[in-house]
Amino acid sequence: MKLEINNFPVSEVIFGEKFSYENGILTINKEEALKVVLEDEHITDADIVIAKPGDSTRIVPVKEAIEPRFRVNNGATFPGVTGKIERVGNGKTVALKNCSVLAVGKHWGSFGDGLIDMSGEGAKATLFGDLINICLVADTDEEFERHEQQKKNKALRWAAHRLAEYLGSVVKDLESVDKEVFELEPISKRNKKLNDLPGVVYVMQPQSQMEELGYNDLVYGWDTNRMLPTLMHPNEILDGSIISGSFMPCSSKWSTYDFQNCPTIKSLYGEHGKTINFLGVIMSNLNVALEQKERAAMGVQQIATTLGADAAILAEEGYGNPDADFIACFAALEEAGVKTIGMTNECTGRDGQSQPLVALDQKADAIVSCGNVSKLIELPPMETVIGELESLARDGLSGGWAHDEILGSSVKEDGSIIMENNSMFCGDRVLGWSTKQMKEF
Amino acid sequence: MVKEIEKAGITIVQMANLIPVAKSVGANRMVPTISIPYPLGDPNTSLDEQWKLRYKRVGWALDALTTEIEDQTLFEG
Amino acid sequence: MKKGILYLNQFFGQIGGEDKADFAPIIKDGVVGAGMILNSILDTAEISHTIICGDNFMGSNEDEAVDKILKYLEDKEFDIFFAGPAFQAGRYGNACGVICKAIKEKFDVPVISSMHIENPGVEMFKKDVYIFQGGDSAAKMKNDMTEMAEFGNKLLKGEVLKTAEEEGYYVRGIRREIYRADSKPANVRAIEMLLKKINGEDFVSELPIPELRRVEIAAPIKNLSEAKIAIVTTGGIVPVDNPDRIQSASATRWGRYSIVGMDRLANRESEAFKTIHAGYDPAAADADPNVCVPLDALRQYEKDGKIGSIHEYFYTTVGTGTTEAEAARMSKEMVELLIEDKVDGVILTST
Repeated sequence: MKLEINNFPVSEVIFGEKFSYENGILTINKEEALKVVLEDEHITDADIVIAKPGDSTRIVPVKEAIEPRFRVNNGATFPGVTGKIERVGNGKTVALKNCSVLAVGKHWGSFGDGLIDMSGEGAKATLFGDLINICLVADTDEEFERHEQQKKNKALRWAAHRLAEYLGSVVKDLESVDKEVFELEPISKRNKKLNDLPGVVYVMQPQSQMEELGYNDLVYGWDTNRMLPTLMHPNEILDGSIISGSFMPCSSKWSTYDFQNCPTIKSLYGEHGKTINFLGVIMSNLNVALEQKERAAMGVQQIATTLGADAAILAEEGYGNPDADFIACFAALEEAGVKTIGMTNECTGRDGQSQPLVALDQKADAIVSCGNVSKLIELPPMETVIGELESLARDGLSGGWAHDEILGSSVKEDGSIIMENNSMFCGDRVLGWSTKQMKEF
Repeated sequence: MVKEIEKAGITIVQMANLIPVAKSVGANRMVPTISIPYPLGDPNTSLDEQWKLRYKRVGWALDALTTEIEDQTLFEG
Repeated sequence: MKKGILYLNQFFGQIGGEDKADFAPIIKDGVVGAGMILNSILDTAEISHTIICGDNFMGSNEDEAVDKILKYLEDKEFDIFFAGPAFQAGRYGNACGVICKAIKEKFDVPVISSMHIENPGVEMFKKDVYIFQGGDSAAKMKNDMTEMAEFGNKLLKGEVLKTAEEEGYYVRGIRREIYRADSKPANVRAIEMLLKKINGEDFVSELPIPELRRVEIAAPIKNLSEAKIAIVTTGGIVPVDNPDRIQSASATRWGRYSIVGMDRLANRESEAFKTIHAGYDPAAADADPNVCVPLDALRQYEKDGKIGSIHEYFYTTVGTGTTEAEAARMSKEMVELLIEDKVDGVILTST
């Protein structure tokens, strides 16, 4: 399987007559783009707003982030979501770099939504403070969940995927000088030099805890709650086979953008043939019952040992009870002699003194730890708000609150905010971007 | 939570699905439940089945409260 | 100028050797012995008093020694407290830890000590006291005193503190996130750790697994058929209007709600009880709260005569993201009422 991603850097996004990409400038015909969004009649109101790094802009509630991409001659960019099920990870894909499409609620937020600041201290706390964000700000007629804390946000998320695919199509006929090529030989056809290197698997535990369908991460459009651990080619992860869900406290979330650019997969590719033999990705899950957690850990162990893996990197999309999946999987791999590195964030509380993971095991002896979900963050007002600031306090976002005896509401009258990292959009970057680390004080 | 109550000398049993978590937080008497969102009654089963399951496991919990133990112990009937 | 107090044992306080280990605590004006070093490096405060106590006295009469010392200090104004360094001396380490902890609790000032890693006082008190990684003998006196003094200067000047490792004290179990100065991302750190682990080289986990903390097992209930049982839940079951406004994550509030006269908890649809816990799918608990607060089953056992009675309230909060400190505080508040109402046993359900 050989994937060639043609990268087109975007330095500016503007609106204009002609949908085009030239010299790094992406011009969007807003009316035409909104037509793609409004293909779904559940979208009742939509606008596109551009936010640039350095702007005094706050974006909330953010539900999803996607890199604009297009699969050249090969069907849907997000199979099972924007089109039919076709295998991705092979062939040519074009990508607009340095920008993302954000799905932003015009009014209503939900538990898993997050916040992005485009400048100041807050911009450091999320990857998306550094990108040009093409914000799809929309409302829908999904009345059944309007006032629910947990929302599927389906219309808005799907619309953002359609928009990302549409925007990516602008460069579908162009050749880029910046090409990334990802190619792995079939496991049984590798040469001696590769086979003599330690075999490494990457084990991903995407969010799959909601038993009701529609909230979890999807693999080829399939709800991850309904799957057992399986072997995937890393190129599939990088090429749109997975989209993010709508449930996890936001700093722990892996957006679709994160999957498309997964830094740990790229690092494993970088070491492949030099220090390791990269065997592939074991796509596991996160569960809500002990038996399910044990079954998944056992499945991961089985696949890893069947492949002859010597080592693994294991990453979880979440905290709290998912820590039990993470630790069970870690222990199962170690018991099978697979030397494992875990990647996670922690919940040590606002005072930093809580047990860092809810489940612990001495076998989990090598962990890269990317942030504290419960860290309190105070940020000054921004001149512009994209979305609705009040949603942070009103709608049950995991890191916001309407009322607190000492701290008051998350949203102050002057537009300044106080929140937990929990609602910083994809802030803990466990897929590899995180420059944060947990330390003892 | 379980530790603070037990520390006060009140006999306590924790009914939890994630026994590894209950152990990590220091529970001494534990009864397993069937899942996180519905610890004591699977909504995919009949109300009668849910009731029976709940009655049985609460019974285990009550037995746990009367049992002398020396280490962290799981009560499963 | 701010003021500091120093605690020394009988030996370093120049009272005498092992024969004076039973020496009761005294307070002296100014510095004694090695306190000179501390005082000379401490430029933000002066050591106004020195407390000297025999190691055995503190060991065998801890309450009396602590009381006496706290009394000495009641009318003194001071901003910081030092004890030791205790090197590898076990009894001295214990004494430094005991007094530092007591001083911190009573006067809420920073407390600093220094001990060798093998001093048992480290494990006993590192969570409560800044204990610096000191030498194994008095030959390191100057070095250890200097570290304590320099850190004292930082605290009193209100400087931003670095990590425990960088400052040089034993970890206290307080974990916070930092932005790495070198901006090295997690994927690079993971690959480095992976290659080291594969090659059998030393590596440092960013999350060392802490040892479990346990409590004494409560005695079993002797006569269940006369016992009063209460239900406590962390599953966030509340009356539908959530009158105490318990948060759906990172809770700092809890409630107790009457279940008198109820055979079971009625559900959300009938405007009775629901869950506000955001960490799991609420559908099942909303439809039937008894799956989380098993009142119906417990009532049956009450009717069967297996238990004496059910406490008239159930207690509830939300477990997800709630800090241990908050959970402990809320539990203590619940415990007061549970004891007052003579509850014999608790069933805690968690989700």
